[in-house]
Amino acid sequence: MLSRSAERLYWLARYLERTENIARLVSVHMNLLLDLPRGVEMGWQQLIRINASERDFNERNKLVNERNVTRFLLTDLSYPGSLISSLSSARENIRTSRELLPDEAWEQVNEMYLFAKNNLDAIASRHSRVLFVNEILKGCQRFTGLLSGYMSHNHPYRFIRLGRNLERADMTSRILDLASLLLAESRSAEMRQYETILWMNILKSLNALLMYRLHFRSRVNGDDVLNFLLLDTNLPRSVACCIVEIADCINRLPNHDLLPEKLMELKTYVQAIDTRRATQLQLRAILDDLQNKLGELHIQITANWFLSAVAEEPV
Amino acid sequence: MKSIWEKYKTEGAYDELMHSEFQPRRVSHGLCQYLNSLNKNDIDKRKIAAELAIMEMGISFTIYSDEGNIDRAWPFDIIPRIIDAREWRVIEKGLKQRLTALNCFINDVYGEQAFIKEGKIPGEIINSSKNFRKECVGMKPRHNAWANICGTDLVRDVDGVMYVLEDNLRVPSGVSYMLENRVITKRVFPELLQDTDILPIDDYPTQLHDMLSSIAYNQNHNPHVVVLTPGIYNSAYFEHAYLAQQMGAQLVEGSDLIVNDDDRVYMRTIEGLEQVDVIYRRIDDDFLDPEVFRKDSALGVRGLMRAWKAGNVALANAPGAGVADDKVVYAYVPEMIRYYLNEEPIIPNVPTYLCSNEDHLAYVLEHIAELVIKPANESGGYGMLVGPHALAKEIAAFRKVIQANPRNYIAQPTLAISTSPTLCKGRLEPRHIDLRPFILQGANTFVTAGGLTRVALKKGSLVVNSSQGGGSKDTWIINMENA
Repeated sequence: MLSRSAERLYWLARYLERTENIARLVSVHMNLLLDLPRGVEMGWQQLIRINASERDFNERNKLVNERNVTRFLLTDLSYPGSLISSLSSARENIRTSRELLPDEAWEQVNEMYLFAKNNLDAIASRHSRVLFVNEILKGCQRFTGLLSGYMSHNHPYRFIRLGRNLERADMTSRILDLASLLLAESRSAEMRQYETILWMNILKSLNALLMYRLHFRSRVNGDDVLNFLLLDTNLPRSVACCIVEIADCINRLPNHDLLPEKLMELKTYVQAIDTRRATQLQLRAILDDLQNKLGELHIQITANWFLSAVAEEPV
Repeated sequence: MKSIWEKYKTEGAYDELMHSEFQPRRVSHGLCQYLNSLNKNDIDKRKIAAELAIMEMGISFTIYSDEGNIDRAWPFDIIPRIIDAREWRVIEKGLKQRLTALNCFINDVYGEQAFIKEGKIPGEIINSSKNFRKECVGMKPRHNAWANICGTDLVRDVDGVMYVLEDNLRVPSGVSYMLENRVITKRVFPELLQDTDILPIDDYPTQLHDMLSSIAYNQNHNPHVVVLTPGIYNSAYFEHAYLAQQMGAQLVEGSDLIVNDDDRVYMRTIEGLEQVDVIYRRIDDDFLDPEVFRKDSALGVRGLMRAWKAGNVALANAPGAGVADDKVVYAYVPEMIRYYLNEEPIIPNVPTYLCSNEDHLAYVLEHIAELVIKPANESGGYGMLVGPHALAKEIAAFRKVIQANPRNYIAQPTLAISTSPTLCKGRLEPRHIDLRPFILQGANTFVTAGGLTRVALKKGSLVVNSSQGGGSKDTWIINMENA
């Protein structure tokens, strides 16, 4: 397999995962706001924070409100982290690696891109925004499904899984980061009343609410949610599970050299996180560190298999 | 309800589907009957369905313009063009004959040069051809096949005879559109295809892969075949990716390949360097190897010619094959067929005046307003003059250009190239078309069943190139024997 193709498939998967994550975040956030009473200190700025894109947002917008934030995150072509930009990068990457994938894979991404491009204005109203976001979520799931059903689980497939899980682990850690931030800040009596709703929405944003209930068989509780999303190795979007997937891909790829060592380090680090003992502040530092470690792993993957030694894309 | 055939006029040119405005030809009877059973609304729906399919399948081509490169959806006309299989069998034979002779000629040019020595063509024509590559002298590609993939343009004149307009022997494109056109037609007119005995075309990628494997120098293992593309900004990138995918071959760019000191070509993979045996290159000779050709080429692979000459990698088409893709050399193809094969040409050439010949030049300058003037070495319909459609000042300017460099120009009578019914704003109108079949030559010779029919969508226009407002149609070779 060409190094260049490996890199493109890896990025294809990262961009598609990012597309899906943004869609899910917006969708969950809209739901959350509908549940919370007016006047509760929970607004749209949180979504900007998760993506660490305050600066990009402020350069383009004066007001933090629903209209501006959703437009920025979903359809702003000038912001490279927006859904439409991610989807368009995914399309460019698959367009240049079509020969490795089933026909339907290209058509699926192309169709999704055309849909998004033709419906950029639709997101202005809540009603059609919901439809827009749902269509994107379905499209991403169809893509994953048809690869798992139609594609040999070969090296190209492994690079896709690798990219997907790295991006996923990163996003999960960002969402947890936000949760701990909210907990640290929003301890007003009124907010605490809605803490459960907040945690439920965190779970929903990772499609993990049902799995949480099946696992704990008890009411939603902050510490358990943190543990579940960080350490459970059965939940596809938990950090630990992503690391297992990443490790599996790396170990089956040729010339993996120094990577297993790096991975072991990461695994040990995650397993040692004790959410019950850490203060909110410590937890935030840990999650920050985790994101840095994922970034380092990305740099190593790049150096190990891809042509360009330095990634040009923002992580 | 008005018929979509209303006011269909066939005058002035041979119409592929209609004898007269009311009478379909024998081969198009079924199609016409079917079309008559649809109302205008149905036709519109099919047309929209086709456009949607093209968008979703991402069939596009790139146009270079001042505003940057635009990726355009492939313009497609849903009404197919039909040829009787009996006629096609003759054309197919003629195309094989022609490519065989052309390959004998190229092999001769880079070898003995008997054709020149015996005075069949002036040596000057070869020596002054910019596609003659002295670096290729003495090379012996397998099966003596230099032009492995050929796209030959055919047109039908008012007399109903098919002529060869040109042979594209460098990097002919269009075959992916031919294949995709059929896929779309199957979606749009499934009922019709089922009831008609149309020759299938979808084995082309297999045939291409077989041919490419057959030219590998080392036949001890399954040859490693790759497609070399200039990259995503090339107008035919869609096709490069499509063919690679259909063949299950890697699509590589110049930077993915490296030639080592052992004169072998390797590609950079996640497992290290892997040797490549056959390269289907979609890069022009000029850009192929900066060590030998253009030094500033960033698209090619340094050392590729070394590897090719050492017999370590096969290139399709072989470098230098373009020497026969020259509109002056074209005029000598009938003679090549007689000389190398001892046969009479099955498909005639269009009469051609060579401006390098003084008598011909005088005739051309006198009759320029009736002729089509073409540069010897351009493709894509660029740099042409269509006399009857040109303004007086354009003609005057062209006169000077020709006189300044007569070797570089040829002239041909303006043919009334045939028309075929084409959907224009909900109605059928005759539009001019040509046909580009693709011929493969390695261990064996293969001709596509039909080819890519290109159509000039503008009323009265004779220019079918996609870069200049042309579109395409599905091409049906129909077997009438069981009809």
